[in-house]
Amino acid sequence: MWRDATLVAGRDLRIEARSRVTLHQVAPFALLVLLLFGFALDPDRGVLERATPGLYWVTVLFSALLALARSAKLEEADGVRDALRLSALEPAGVFVGKTLAVAAELAALEVLLGIGVVILYGADPAEIGLLLTTCLAATVAVATTGTLYGALVSGLRVRETLLPLLLLPVLAPVLIGATRAFEAALAGTPADGWPWCGLLAVFAVLYSVAGALAYGTLLEGS
Amino acid sequence: MIAMTHAGYVAAGWLATFGLIGGYALSVLRRGRTLSRQVPPEERRWS
Amino acid sequence: MTATPTAGPAGGPPSPTSTPSRPEAHPGPASTGSRATRVIGLLALVAIGLLALYGLVISPADAEMADAVRLYYIHVPSAICLALGCFITTGASALWLRRRSAGWDALAEAGAEVALVFAAITLLTGSLWGRPTWGTYWTWDARLTSTAVLTALLVGYLALRRLDLDPDARSVRAAVLGLLLVPNFIVVNRSVEWWRSLHQESTLFRLDPAIEGDMLVAAMVGYLAFALVFTWLMIHRFRVAWLEQAADRVDLDAALAARRSEAQAPPSAPSAPTEPSEPSAAAPAAPVEPSGAATPTEVPSR
Repeated sequence: MWRDATLVAGRDLRIEARSRVTLHQVAPFALLVLLLFGFALDPDRGVLERATPGLYWVTVLFSALLALARSAKLEEADGVRDALRLSALEPAGVFVGKTLAVAAELAALEVLLGIGVVILYGADPAEIGLLLTTCLAATVAVATTGTLYGALVSGLRVRETLLPLLLLPVLAPVLIGATRAFEAALAGTPADGWPWCGLLAVFAVLYSVAGALAYGTLLEGS
Repeated sequence: MIAMTHAGYVAAGWLATFGLIGGYALSVLRRGRTLSRQVPPEERRWS
Repeated sequence: MTATPTAGPAGGPPSPTSTPSRPEAHPGPASTGSRATRVIGLLALVAIGLLALYGLVISPADAEMADAVRLYYIHVPSAICLALGCFITTGASALWLRRRSAGWDALAEAGAEVALVFAAITLLTGSLWGRPTWGTYWTWDARLTSTAVLTALLVGYLALRRLDLDPDARSVRAAVLGLLLVPNFIVVNRSVEWWRSLHQESTLFRLDPAIEGDMLVAAMVGYLAFALVFTWLMIHRFRVAWLEQAADRVDLDAALAARRSEAQAPPSAPSAPTEPSEPSAAAPAAPVEPSGAATPTEVPSR
């Protein structure tokens, strides 16, 4: 399965390297959202600083929607689905591979947004360990869930509007957990944040398993 | 009953609730009738 | 779907005409009702009447919340029905994935739609209860917030179900989504509760009323009434879903029959007026050809 996963991840990342959609479109979008929040919340009134963790993760989620939609669309190209079925690739492997590729893109986005938030909102990155672990867990959580739900809506004409509707409620715990962890980190009380990081890890594991199991059914049935 | 406190909220809640239930019930019944006309009787063996 | 409504000259399967001139073609129940549902429906109406009597008139106002407590007699049973509907959807989805029989698919759809109705009622009554009691329509307390997220999950599920897809593909996707409904809700609920428990004020909200005496009777009648209403709605909605599947099959059969008959129609025969425009079918040289081009696709393309 891991060999299959590596194959698929490699393919997805190569496509990204060639087309650079994440780099040229999703990343600027993410930074733009950060700017917009600045306009909306008036940087002089202290709201931005207090709200930084929440704004950061909301931005990550919105950008993730774009990245995940793109990842799912790669499977819709002519004949790809049949080729996948005919090849001996294990569906679970395909799932893991796609998840890894998307996770890599999301991780890059998060680093970029982290820099953005430090510069634009004046955030002071303390407790880097907690911050990084939270990002890791949240990234896996979003990537696994998003890849599964991406397969749920793949091929549909309405996928652009349906994916957010399906995915965002499911990711509410991720938003809650990641934000609380970041708040604890930035406030200098990491002890409050680690349990939330734990929640994210549990979520990530649950959806890794669920996705690996269900992906095969979805590939066959559609 | 008229002397109830917060009568407006209570009334709104009760009316909306049973209005929703009633409206939904009617909608389901209507769909049922329309579909029953289109489907041969072997498929609808209840009475 | 534009299935032609007449059987072809080959005399295919009986045509599902909906023309009023042949009512005897479809005897059998004219609706989704049956004796069972009539009995349940009647009992439900009686129970609702009793609930109104006890809930609005006989039972006293609460010491702290005054008459706002009367909304509780609806709010709590409604939340239970919501939970029931969701469990039915998840369970039926699981069973469908196991056994692939159409009944589970219909049950899953019914459960979700009925659950959504009760979700709306739960949120509405919860919010209307909160306003006179705490002064705000929305208190971000764990239960109401989780219910709001659950409502979003249900709306998403039903949106997926309504898509114009090949029924088999749609059922698979809906089943996977439905299977995840209850687990998703549990995770969301735990997270939200943990989150709200960090804020001290949450313990001030949601003090459930102390129910005793006539209030207890009202609450019990409430549970009974809503259980009956829920059952009635589920049976009818399940039958509607069942009929929808049957209607799809009927349409599909008719369309296939029409296609077959037009493929077999003698080349010299003028095209029957009901057949879809098919100029190439008249070509004498054409053998029985599956002419996919002009005929509108009955199986909706994805």
